[in-house]
Amino acid sequence: MSLAQLLLNGLALGSAYALVALGFVLVLNATGSINFAQGDMVMLGGYVAIALARLLDLSGLAVLPLVTLAMAGFGLLFSMLAWRPFRRRPPISGLLATVALGLTLQEAMNALEGAAPQAGPTLIGTGEIHLGPLGLSRASLGILVACLVLGSAQGWLLGRTQFGRRLRASAQDPVTARALGLPVDRLIATSFALAAALAGAVGLLLSGPYFVTPTSGNDLILRAYVAVTIGGWGSLKGAVVGALLIALFESVVAGYASSVVATASLYGLVLVLLAVRPAGLFPEPFGRRA
Amino acid sequence: MKAFVRPAPLVGLAIAGWLLVVVATGSGYEQRLMALAASSALMAIGYQLVFGQVGALSLAQGACFAIGAYAAGILGGRLGWPIWLELPAAILLPALLAAVAHGPVRRLDGHYFALATLGLAVLVRLVAVDAQGLTGGANGLIGVPPLPVGWLGLSRGAGTMLAGWTLAGIGAGLALWLKRGGNGPTLALVRDDPALARASGLDPGRIRTQGFVLAAGFAGAGGALQAHVLGLVSPDVAEFSVMVGCLAMVVIGGRGSVAGGVLGALLIGHLPEWLRPLGSSYRIAYGLGLFVCLLVAPAGLVGSLERFWPRRSMPAPLAVTTSLPRPDAVLRVDGIGKSYGGIAVLHGISLELRPGEIVGLIGPNGSGKTTLINLVGGQDRPDRGRITLGTARLDGLSADRIARAGIARSFQSVAVPDAMMPTDLVMAALAAREGRAGFGHALAIASLRGEAAALLRRVGVDSDCPLEGGSVRLVDIARALALDPAVLLLDEPAAGLDPAERDRLGTLLRALATEGRALLVVEHDMVFLMGLADRIAVLLDGRIARAGTADEVRADPRVRAAYLGEPSA
Repeated sequence: MSLAQLLLNGLALGSAYALVALGFVLVLNATGSINFAQGDMVMLGGYVAIALARLLDLSGLAVLPLVTLAMAGFGLLFSMLAWRPFRRRPPISGLLATVALGLTLQEAMNALEGAAPQAGPTLIGTGEIHLGPLGLSRASLGILVACLVLGSAQGWLLGRTQFGRRLRASAQDPVTARALGLPVDRLIATSFALAAALAGAVGLLLSGPYFVTPTSGNDLILRAYVAVTIGGWGSLKGAVVGALLIALFESVVAGYASSVVATASLYGLVLVLLAVRPAGLFPEPFGRRA
Repeated sequence: MKAFVRPAPLVGLAIAGWLLVVVATGSGYEQRLMALAASSALMAIGYQLVFGQVGALSLAQGACFAIGAYAAGILGGRLGWPIWLELPAAILLPALLAAVAHGPVRRLDGHYFALATLGLAVLVRLVAVDAQGLTGGANGLIGVPPLPVGWLGLSRGAGTMLAGWTLAGIGAGLALWLKRGGNGPTLALVRDDPALARASGLDPGRIRTQGFVLAAGFAGAGGALQAHVLGLVSPDVAEFSVMVGCLAMVVIGGRGSVAGGVLGALLIGHLPEWLRPLGSSYRIAYGLGLFVCLLVAPAGLVGSLERFWPRRSMPAPLAVTTSLPRPDAVLRVDGIGKSYGGIAVLHGISLELRPGEIVGLIGPNGSGKTTLINLVGGQDRPDRGRITLGTARLDGLSADRIARAGIARSFQSVAVPDAMMPTDLVMAALAAREGRAGFGHALAIASLRGEAAALLRRVGVDSDCPLEGGSVRLVDIARALALDPAVLLLDEPAAGLDPAERDRLGTLLRALATEGRALLVVEHDMVFLMGLADRIAVLLDGRIARAGTADEVRADPRVRAAYLGEPSA
């Protein structure tokens, strides 16, 4: 494959990782704590999309709003289980609660659907689009477009709206935010719902080209975690850049050498990067959260 | 007798009883399960040192376990090393790797440290799966010899199990020994507030290195034991689920507690077995079970058990004589400047503090007072200029070295970590003074408590009272005094104190100066400062606008303009 083609593939793959990382950052910015079940939510979103498309006999595009709505409801439920009881405890308890719930989710889907990979609906049909010598599948195009739309929507929501300002204020100092009359708990539940809805959309997008298995969330959350950390804890821009960097290695380095070399050099680079920039590529301006 | 009601001996006794029952009933399956639980227990005990005690989220503990297992598989299995040579190698190898790897990541905090250790874990997994010649790749290694337990006269399963738990018992004893005595408060401060620890003269990086290396050694022992029990090494040992299991063990057992790590290992090891009657859905119940444990036992199993016991009685404080004051030395700040993101906050500040002198530092909000204290105390580095104490140059040194060199500071807003009593905080700083505080460094806890109580009495705080209001700031001053500093930097010490407390503070600061210490006091309360300070420096827009006696400063038109809003003539 040509370098340009590998770069294009990397861009599409990186967009998918970026969408997972953005959901992770949304909860991180709202609560200061980590949702390690974000990858499993993407997996669940994929299965929900498959079930709905099968049940209602609809195309991917038509199923999209239903999946996001259903997953938003799941996000509310998830915040009641994984966040509310743990909000006054050390952050590590909440983190492990999301790990335990994610594990439960994986095993539940394994019992319901089995471990075999399943293909979901595609967003805008199948087949390739040719741009000169380069080919891009319609599924990848869908992911690229979705990443642009959803990513900028999230950036706008957090950075430019009153909701986003309140969310960031309540994460930085929940006590003061409460004293100022902000409905902190409701804001946080909303951000979980948004993150889950985002996961639903990503699950649908990925289920077409990459299939879904009960454990497919594990690889995604690992990449999201790496992307968010090397990008700079809590930075949206950093998360996207980090995700693209990972995908670049998985596509270009793996294309020229092998996937083993790609993984080894990626994590080698991560170690070097951390030694040089101990707070990530785009360090947060304010104090670090646990 | 009372000591036996503590968790560690009780858990030890319970396990001994359990082992006896298993030996007596002779179930080979249960023996194997228990032997494997011993290998996890070793990993979890070690993880309590780095994660539980120091509070560093290392994600490489599973990888160190894998290195131990492969060491046993390659050295003991393939090369035929005897166990007395192979086991130490399996412990030293991951510990050595941890020591080397911790160098470059020493500066990292929180999740950046976690990611760096995750990177290590991924690289170890890559070697396990892809270095066919060394690790057998996806096939793993077979033919790891069983432990030589024949001379015990028991069945191989029972002998292996007892040998495994002997190893775990030795490990538990070692871990308890490492964190004994006065190290408790030191480790708690490093875990709960690294910045405050650094200002108290402790080096969190060094203590974390110790914890990380020790934890790796424990994991190596556990991995080797597992390889001997199974008779093979599978690349699954390098999977991330081992690490997640280890995390679950210490959190469910009770973070920081050796007994908790052991209990967690037993529980996680047996949970799949106990849930087997549920059939194929047992793995769902396993995930839910973990969640419920986290929900109902926030302090872990040991924490829940401890609620039924009376609090451990503390050793009585020893009466102590106050130590001699440090040699006199002049603090010279020479032309230091600092910018943040291109905005200059301080422009070439020069200042001199002589022994026995109290200098007040005033200035409107944002004039750079706290920045100046941060630069002198080492919380931040100056862009230019030099800072010397006597003949020692201090700018660019880390905060803990500056603190041990004789410059202590208090903070404008302090939050004493929740679980710490005032005495603990002061004891941590007292321990730091010796410069070697950390794992395995025994401190005479009774005399430390005595010294801490004396310092707290001196600032006027009752050491057994919960903290409230302004007394937090007084405790922070006691913590700073624990370093026996030549120079004391105080950031708004009088804020939040009532008039009576304020008077007492003034008397205390005078007394400290009389001992030959130099004091730099940042304060908004002009009246308090005017009566106290020998000299006053006024900071305006990052420059010292005026320095002199209280009267001279008060008469300066620029100071009046800045403070009273009068137009400067």
